[in-house]
Amino acid sequence: MSRLATRRHDHAHTRPAAELETDPFVPIAEASRYAPPRATIDSDTSKSWLRRAMPIVKAHRGGFLTALSLSFFGLILQVQIPNLLNKAINNSIVFHTVPIHFYVEWILALGLTGGVAGYISRLAIYKTAYSIEFDLRNIIYEHLTKMSFSFYDKVQSGQLISRANSDIRSVQMYMTFAPLILLQCAIVFVAFGFMLSISVPLAFIALVTMPFVYFVSVQMRKSMFPVSWLIQARLAEVATIVDENVNGVRVVKSFAAEDQQLKDLARAATGVEWAYIKDADLRARFTPAVQNLPQLGLVLVLLFGGWMVLQGHLGLGAIVAFNSYLLMMQIPFTMLGMLIMMGQRAAASAERIYEILDERSEIVDKPGAIDLINCKGDVQFDHVDFGYPGGDRPRVLENFDLRLRRGETVALVGRTGSGKSTVARLLTRFYDVTGGSVKVDDHDVRDLTVASLRANIGIVLDEPFLFSVSIRENIAYGKPTATLEEIEAAAQAANAAKFIEELPQGYDTVVGERGYTLSGGQRQRIAIARTLLVNPPILVLDDATSAIDVHVEQQIHRSLSTLMQGRTTLIVAHRLSTISLADRVVLLDDGKIVADGRHSELLESSPLYAEVLARAAEEDGTELSRPPISGGAA
Amino acid sequence: MFGGGARPGAPGAPGLPFGGIPTELQDGVDRLLKTEPEHGDPTVNFTQRPTAQETRRLTLWSLLTRYPRLLWVSAILIVLMSVTMQAGPFLTEKAIDHGMVPGHHSLTVIGVCAAAYLVLAVTTALAQRSQVKVTGRLAAGVMNDLRVKVFAHLQRLSLDFFTDEKAGVLMSRMTSDIENLQQLLQDGLAQFAIQGLTMVVITIVLFTMNVRLAIITVLLIIPVLTAASLWFRVASGRGYDRVRDGIANVLADLSESLHGVRIVTSHNRQRHNVIHHRNVVGEYRDANNYTAQINAVYGPGTQMLGVLGQAALVGIGGDMVIHHTLTIGALVAFFLYLNRFLQPIQLLVQQYNTYQQGQASVFKLRGLLETAPAVDEGPESTELPPINGRITFEHVSFGYDPANPVIHDVDITIEPGETVAFVGPTGAGKSTLAKLITRFYDPTAGRVLIDGHDLRQVTFASLRRQLGVVPQEPFLFAGSIRDNIAFARQGATDAEVNEAVRAVGLEDMIERMPDGRDTIVHERGQSLSSGERQLIALARAFLAHPRVLVLDEATSNLDLQSETKIEAALDVLLEARTAVLIAHRLSTAMKADRIVVIYDGEVVESGSHSELVAAGGKYAAMYETWISQAETESAGAGAVH
Repeated sequence: MSRLATRRHDHAHTRPAAELETDPFVPIAEASRYAPPRATIDSDTSKSWLRRAMPIVKAHRGGFLTALSLSFFGLILQVQIPNLLNKAINNSIVFHTVPIHFYVEWILALGLTGGVAGYISRLAIYKTAYSIEFDLRNIIYEHLTKMSFSFYDKVQSGQLISRANSDIRSVQMYMTFAPLILLQCAIVFVAFGFMLSISVPLAFIALVTMPFVYFVSVQMRKSMFPVSWLIQARLAEVATIVDENVNGVRVVKSFAAEDQQLKDLARAATGVEWAYIKDADLRARFTPAVQNLPQLGLVLVLLFGGWMVLQGHLGLGAIVAFNSYLLMMQIPFTMLGMLIMMGQRAAASAERIYEILDERSEIVDKPGAIDLINCKGDVQFDHVDFGYPGGDRPRVLENFDLRLRRGETVALVGRTGSGKSTVARLLTRFYDVTGGSVKVDDHDVRDLTVASLRANIGIVLDEPFLFSVSIRENIAYGKPTATLEEIEAAAQAANAAKFIEELPQGYDTVVGERGYTLSGGQRQRIAIARTLLVNPPILVLDDATSAIDVHVEQQIHRSLSTLMQGRTTLIVAHRLSTISLADRVVLLDDGKIVADGRHSELLESSPLYAEVLARAAEEDGTELSRPPISGGAA
Repeated sequence: MFGGGARPGAPGAPGLPFGGIPTELQDGVDRLLKTEPEHGDPTVNFTQRPTAQETRRLTLWSLLTRYPRLLWVSAILIVLMSVTMQAGPFLTEKAIDHGMVPGHHSLTVIGVCAAAYLVLAVTTALAQRSQVKVTGRLAAGVMNDLRVKVFAHLQRLSLDFFTDEKAGVLMSRMTSDIENLQQLLQDGLAQFAIQGLTMVVITIVLFTMNVRLAIITVLLIIPVLTAASLWFRVASGRGYDRVRDGIANVLADLSESLHGVRIVTSHNRQRHNVIHHRNVVGEYRDANNYTAQINAVYGPGTQMLGVLGQAALVGIGGDMVIHHTLTIGALVAFFLYLNRFLQPIQLLVQQYNTYQQGQASVFKLRGLLETAPAVDEGPESTELPPINGRITFEHVSFGYDPANPVIHDVDITIEPGETVAFVGPTGAGKSTLAKLITRFYDPTAGRVLIDGHDLRQVTFASLRRQLGVVPQEPFLFAGSIRDNIAFARQGATDAEVNEAVRAVGLEDMIERMPDGRDTIVHERGQSLSSGERQLIALARAFLAHPRVLVLDEATSNLDLQSETKIEAALDVLLEARTAVLIAHRLSTAMKADRIVVIYDGEVVESGSHSELVAAGGKYAAMYETWISQAETESAGAGAVH
């Protein structure tokens, strides 16, 4: 009898407390060495991007306040120095009214204090920036783990990765450096104040070119943007040509198309060259202006300041002070333009990130969902209708009825596209049915907690994906706490133990995308071991042995048939040999069951069944079965 | 125009809308593209043997000297700028000492100095303008040369170089490694020169004004700042290595989680993975915080150094002015130059990273360019004349690893017009024999001949143009279906393409396509079925009009309809041609004139289907297993119940 327990489920975005909660269906074998994100974005989509990000900003307000207040303090100190120089020259050097060491000491003190303040404020802003990045990355990752398969069907992982990388960075940059740049701009006002205090007319004269600096730098970024976009697009074009050339090298060489390929590349490279020349021409138009306009201010200071000195309205030191102030102001004016650009970029990036975060998973525990405990393995598909979400895609299953009794092994057979694999995906609730219901132990799977359902169903997929960790960790993927003995036993059962032991580092060999390359058959056997280790009462083999040699497959079959005893098993298969493991065969065509019965019965009654099998045998013909004769004289 | 980067029709991701160009940018890009001239056809030609120019050792200098005129002009402009840029403080000094100091009042002097300052500032701006243009052209030209040069070399390398692991590395050579140089060439080298010269110019000016104060200033600033900068370079280099590793781990973890999402989900691993990812991201944050420490010390530290220098100048210089060993104008000039002196050192340190990266790229690219193709044309290779298609294997042995031969002493002759099927278990060497015919590899012993010509004595292009190859997994290029079919013969007319389409029976598929033959194939043809891809590959081979056809049979599941079509297409294709079939199914092999059974790299049997069955050897046994397998298995499966 299955015993049911109700558990409380909350659907909050982050729930650090939940990590401590032990869930028997959710394996965790790694300790968290870092605190979880402090906040997440505001879920109100009507707000502007910056306001939606405010909870994250607020969570880091300590860092922001430290950085901003200290850097403001530093700026104030920095602005004092030209004024002190001015006074030192006028009072100590020209008129000898104050001893010079007085100013030297002041400048030294200001310099040292400013240095310390600068150090702390920079450190605070950098650390805040990286903490925000940490939060954003973890928020997105956690969100992605919650998404259902229909989401992954419609997005490309390359796009998700780019959003989770460059977009995060541009948002993080803006959120942290914008306040700092604005603060830097405050220096303009302070410095201007000091200039006014020295000489009002000269201050206005000196500053006359600054608005132009700002204007030109904004103009510059505006006109540079399309060029830099064009450059990126054209570089991508070059990359595509190279990518195809490298991956299609056989075709290129077979047809002696090297010359044509080289011409294609040269054409694309010329496009890049032109775009870069355009870029240089635009920079040539603006950069000299941005960099030399302040010089114009200095010329004016020299001319009018000099004249005022002669008139006795101004001390000599003012010339030095004005020079210094103008240099200080140049940077904020050009940075203001940059800030606007950063803001635009960050807004676009934030939209792309929110687009992911605003997606909701369709497969969630409904309130009051119960755990599937002591599963017997009784499976029923009850009048199931199903079509993959999106557009006008056709229905895959229609009024599909199938019952798997406890311990029974059923093979699903059918042509490509007949809906076999879909049946398996509905059972594990990778998708929800559009009509009817799927039941396990008489419970609609939608009434069960997803974790407990999946913990009771072991599925081996047709594409045996392995992670870039050791074989041991790959096999223990569903049960990270497994002992080495358990892992070895699972590998043994999947007929994988022998080749694993022959590998350079045995079970510690790192495989997957970034590790040792295994053959398709070897990967499939590891995938089978991975599922067997979990020891689930219900087993789904989705074309799981397609890449394994027939004679190796037979050895797995032996272990599989022992393992299948007492387990409800659903096999999706093409091969006759695999089908022979089943108690019952169900033939699917166009989403409907067209025949159901024992293999021998179907062979006689259904011509379609015979055709499907004949094709499978044909494929296995020469390549996969080595004839039983060996060596010998020819 | 082919080179247009903006493709409004480019597909975004099917689900999330972003993917093309932001609309507000589109106008700017369009306006820009209107100014683009026709670039004309590329003049570069592929030669298997590199020219003398191409074999020159790759260095930054060798790349630059291909444009001597641009190089000279930019050098002159840089020197000019470095001098005129530093005139300000010098003129200020003159204006103060000769026009403002009590007793020397002169508005004329001030006016002349200001005018001179203005002229020099304008000169600087104009020089800078030309310099940016010239350097930009120099950089763009060099980058273009480099792309073409590296890509041409990639075309020369033989197949063994293009293994799966290397594909990513080759990509980054052609993309990020070359792009790394862009920054250096466009701005880096010029900045390097400008900043270096600035320091020289300032030092000279300071020494002419007052030797004693100049020595003090230079001694005070340079050693400390240099030491700090060197420390920064080393420490930040170490820090950035950590950051790079960190981000690589973060992205790898993310990418694997996304690719393996079905496994993650079915094993309830989400929460474990969230914690694991947090740890990986956390390590990345630690690495970033480490670099933050370094930057937080260096930035404000150098600034502080500048202030301390000013304090020292006030003390020492002021004292000198009071004792009349320094003019007040000179002191002011020293102040102004001090600010300008700090900047170049900081910039040089920054530029040094760019320089180092650029050098590392040059080093890697040089390694690639100096890799010789394993299979190469001899200097005396001749054009292979039009062939009849007699293929002879003369005692051929071969091993990818010479110590481990996979082909042993194979001796076969394939007559012109004959269809021969290679049959045998996986790893027996069937595909390897095919690769020897196309000369993707050279035999380690023996010879492969076509019409009596040793393949090693003919040029690649003349050989391969007469061969048609259909690989097991057809590869489609981004572009239209037409371009993909015409891949083998770029100049093919529409009529010829249509003929190929008809010959392989592709018409109905093409009619169903939205843009017919011009329909763009996305993602290497993943939008097409494998049967359709196969037919396109067959049409491609047909259009090449090869004398010899090498066909690796597809093993993937095809639906019955496509399979019938492909069989029909094959019949057309094999007509009157020498053909080598690598057969994975006995049903295909049976259609050949002759079957060659390969076993452990040796030819064990050869003859027609009926002959071999009658002979009762390995083929007969294979055939029997195949026939009986279906029967016994059905019987066996039936007996279970």
